[in-house]
Amino acid sequence: MSAVIKRVLLTLLLLQLSSLAVFAAIRLSGGDVTAARLPASATAEDRELFREQIGLNQPILTQYVDYLGNVVRGDLGNSLTNNARISTLAVEKIRNSLILGGAAIVLVFGIGIPLGMLAAFRRNSWLDTSISSAAVAGMAVPNFWLALLVVWLFSSTLGWFPPAGSGGFRYLVLPALVLAAEGIALTVRMTRSAMLENVGQDFVRTLRAAGLSESRVYFKHVLRNSLLPIISLAGLRVGQIIGYALVVETIFGWPGVGQILVNGVLRRDYPIVQFFSLLLVLVVTLGNLAASVGYTLANPRLRK
Amino acid sequence: MNLFQRALKNKQLVVGSVLGLIVLTLAAVGPWIFGAYDTQDLLLGHKPVGTPGFPFGSDALGRDLAARATYGIRISLLVAVSVTAIAVVLGTTIGLIAGYVKGTVDTVTSWIVDFVWGFPLILVAVLAAASIGSGLVPVILAVGLVNTVAIARVVRGEVLGISEREFVVAAKAGGYSALRIVFRHVVPNVIPVALVLSSYYVAVSIIAEASLSFVGLGAQPPLPSLGQMVSDGRNFIRLNHWEATIPGAVIFVMVLSVSLIGDGLRDLLDPRLRTAVERASAT
Repeated sequence: MSAVIKRVLLTLLLLQLSSLAVFAAIRLSGGDVTAARLPASATAEDRELFREQIGLNQPILTQYVDYLGNVVRGDLGNSLTNNARISTLAVEKIRNSLILGGAAIVLVFGIGIPLGMLAAFRRNSWLDTSISSAAVAGMAVPNFWLALLVVWLFSSTLGWFPPAGSGGFRYLVLPALVLAAEGIALTVRMTRSAMLENVGQDFVRTLRAAGLSESRVYFKHVLRNSLLPIISLAGLRVGQIIGYALVVETIFGWPGVGQILVNGVLRRDYPIVQFFSLLLVLVVTLGNLAASVGYTLANPRLRK
Repeated sequence: MNLFQRALKNKQLVVGSVLGLIVLTLAAVGPWIFGAYDTQDLLLGHKPVGTPGFPFGSDALGRDLAARATYGIRISLLVAVSVTAIAVVLGTTIGLIAGYVKGTVDTVTSWIVDFVWGFPLILVAVLAAASIGSGLVPVILAVGLVNTVAIARVVRGEVLGISEREFVVAAKAGGYSALRIVFRHVVPNVIPVALVLSSYYVAVSIIAEASLSFVGLGAQPPLPSLGQMVSDGRNFIRLNHWEATIPGAVIFVMVLSVSLIGDGLRDLLDPRLRTAVERASAT
């Protein structure tokens, strides 16, 4: 148990360091943050005054401590481009991203695990070959290109779903599918190989000898032993899913954390970049932590 | 059967290598055949596929898509292959030292690795772009840093396992120097893992570079990055879909080639790697 506590404490320390690193990285910016707010015609004095006003001329550590103080008081600052309160923006963006991410995870496991099981159950058949090849291709498709192809097919040509934006369920389908594609492919491969690995185990031979039907052996006992590594992987994959979400949200105009972060960078809106990138680091680190703690707790051999 | 004969029997490796060779050939000779990537045609506007001199048509500025796509491969390869190659050497060295020396060196390295591990590749690149401005440099820095750390992490784990094995313990008991043990006994056992992992990270880096260029944070115009070409082309998908489909297909083939080579190498060098690498590559 002490290992878990140590791990949690170390994670908190890492988060503190990450926030400082992000904070410093953004302030190293050679770009002009005043461009986000002031017109192109603004004079050098105007720009300097603006920098002074938003506190950019103070030492980085002072700014960092001030920022942390504000965050503790619940003040996350305001966007430079439209002065919107970040705390208000955050609630909306996080909700949207959770909807998209949640839908993608449902697709990843809902499609990936059954297909992987099917491939393992009918291994070396044409079905297995097609599923496995599709999975290899699925992992190689760049998701922004896939996005373009599905929009072309399902939106421009067939008119089934809107090409971008947010609103009802119809807006969710295409971005969730694109975000999930690589995860589905990976889950298919993981499920297939985990099941085939377990089929060779002694307990399977015993179950078969006991007269259980082949499908019962596979879909009940082998599956149960294969699921743990597949699901604990989800925690470790949070980082990658977030990376992809940055791109997918931007393409589909999905108003989530990824989109506001990318736009923030393009517009040099540093309070936005700062808050939302820290939020993502927090989520990834917690995902890694959950995966490692979960794995330790679920696997008695790792407990000390 | 020797290694080469076994390699020829490995379908994934053969198909992946053939695709890879095609891509490399295009990158090498493409710009010679199709000309400069930024020549704008006086007659602006899209040219359809098959227009004389424009085998794949042109973009809205009249620039030859074939020339741009083949040049785009070079940029992709520069970022993904050469940077990952450096990352493999650095990451393997760091992982070897941390895993073999252990103690304080290992603790400090693990902290740094865990620290960087909290940042997904795309996020690091986005932050780098926020910090030093958009372009290829932040992408290269991000790919280099994240891949080095990822490889160091896995190699360290492998080395920790290997240095407990009998042959290493025996070599230590025999009084051989640490350098000799590392190079004779540890490195050969780590190389398969590093090779297989590196092919995976090349694939990830190709996609990362293309994605960042797609959203406008990577290579800047007029450099023809494949991701950016897809982005330019998506507005004309009904008019001339080749402008978006060709560069996307090129990225797909590149990534597919590298992934197949990686899968093939894994089966060839050490089938037991399968689960270890899948677990690592999932992160």
